[in-house]
Amino acid sequence: MSLKSYSRGRAIHVMLVYTGGCNGCDIEIVNCIFSPKFDAEQYKVFLTWNPREADVLVVTGPVTKHNEKPLLEIYNAIPEPKAVVAAGACALMGGVYKNIHGDIPSEEIAGPVDQIIPVDAKVPGCAVRPQDIVAGLVSALPLLLNAD
Amino acid sequence: MDDNKEKRTVIEAEIPMGTVHPAALEPYRVRLFVEDEIVRDAEITVGINHRGVERIMEGLPVEKANSLTEKICGICSNSHIWNSCLTAEKPLGIEVPERAGYIRIIMEELERLHSHLLYLAHGSEVLGHETFAMRLFYIRETVMELLGMIGGNRVHYGASILGGVRPRCELDEMRIQQIKNGMDLLEEKITAFADRFVSDPLVMSRITGVGVISQKDALRLACTGPTLRATGVEKDLRRDMEEYDPFEFDVITQDDGDVKSQLLMRVMENFESIKIIRQAIRDLPPGPITNRSWEMKDTPLTKSYIEVPRGTLYHSYALEDGRVRNCVIRTPSMANIGAMQYACIGHHITDAQLCVVQCDPCFTCTDRAIQIIEI
Repeated sequence: MSLKSYSRGRAIHVMLVYTGGCNGCDIEIVNCIFSPKFDAEQYKVFLTWNPREADVLVVTGPVTKHNEKPLLEIYNAIPEPKAVVAAGACALMGGVYKNIHGDIPSEEIAGPVDQIIPVDAKVPGCAVRPQDIVAGLVSALPLLLNAD
Repeated sequence: MDDNKEKRTVIEAEIPMGTVHPAALEPYRVRLFVEDEIVRDAEITVGINHRGVERIMEGLPVEKANSLTEKICGICSNSHIWNSCLTAEKPLGIEVPERAGYIRIIMEELERLHSHLLYLAHGSEVLGHETFAMRLFYIRETVMELLGMIGGNRVHYGASILGGVRPRCELDEMRIQQIKNGMDLLEEKITAFADRFVSDPLVMSRITGVGVISQKDALRLACTGPTLRATGVEKDLRRDMEEYDPFEFDVITQDDGDVKSQLLMRVMENFESIKIIRQAIRDLPPGPITNRSWEMKDTPLTKSYIEVPRGTLYHSYALEDGRVRNCVIRTPSMANIGAMQYACIGHHITDAQLCVVQCDPCFTCTDRAIQIIEI
């Protein structure tokens, strides 16, 4: 085990990217990592806003056209090895904004997250439950810890 | 020498923040035009998370459209579905049972509680006081659990339907007792938090006199909701709504219009919400919660305004064969953008984000502006 993967086992940094959902998943994820009730920090999972520091990228929301390029840039800025967790119905399949419409389909959605960047773990729910987020994050950890 | 001094100009620099920025949870862009680290002008750009909800609602069956309006915002989701139901109920002549009205009020006030607590947590985080933010998230968890218990989901509860509330949101004795216990717990915890907040000299010195919006400017910039009330204008749409007639509550105002007033106002409003929920539970009338005896017909364009945690929410649409036409939604954060930009001016750049956050922005609601070229 290299020094890098040893230290990664001590602290996983999660970056949350919000690509145009409804705020619901977003707040639940912050709540899950931050609040004393769920407290993902006790599992050594920390929230960061710096892509160069991050190990796991959590993406919420259907990616709107404006957000497609920033998301790719953020993904490329994260150093290897990295894992991507798509959280919420919108991130998995576009949610209501892509799939439910009346006369005019939505032209604003660039598609679910896995059409833009590779996704390693998917967390369903509208909005995602904090318990599911912890499970999703944990399921993505072997990718990071067994990388080298 | 003197000539050189005259020629010397301060280079005006632009500091862009966003679209992904640690202090702003949502994607929006703030451009700060600074001069010697003092903000001279600010510009907020929205539209990054525009999903075209109004457009995809065009031609949806009204029941489906109501559920879709809920997905506009993950913070004030009940407000959207409630107002959307009211917009259809008025012209269709649907009489909402009294008990359903009370349950709607309980959901709305619980939502106001969690929205204000989230605002305070976000504000504390931007202030740099993460302990307060963590404590507030913990207090907020009580409300989220109550909402999850009543609605079945922690975020999108879907309580209102045309003609009442969903059967799963019926309040039985056990649920009423849980809400009662929750309110007692919340009052105790928020009081303790407020004492700690007000008596913290570091926090108070950081927020007093920062981001002042005067009453004149707040009216000129057409602010709404708590942002307007924090400048001393006693305007609360809940006073004019017939749904709120049976309840006694005070309209909280603060005088200064700075970040301190904004934060303290939300703290005080929490107690009013607790008061309303207690009254609603005490006087909860018996009877059915859903009125199913109504018929669909074509309706003209109808407007509906309600007071939501951030201000006045506007929905309007017409019905044609039970389908939504010409839907327009205007959210309170749209009205407050002017105040956010204005509050930044004249402050140090370190205070700029605080000045934006003090108006409780919710840009995911706000990105409604669309241009329909052809229908």
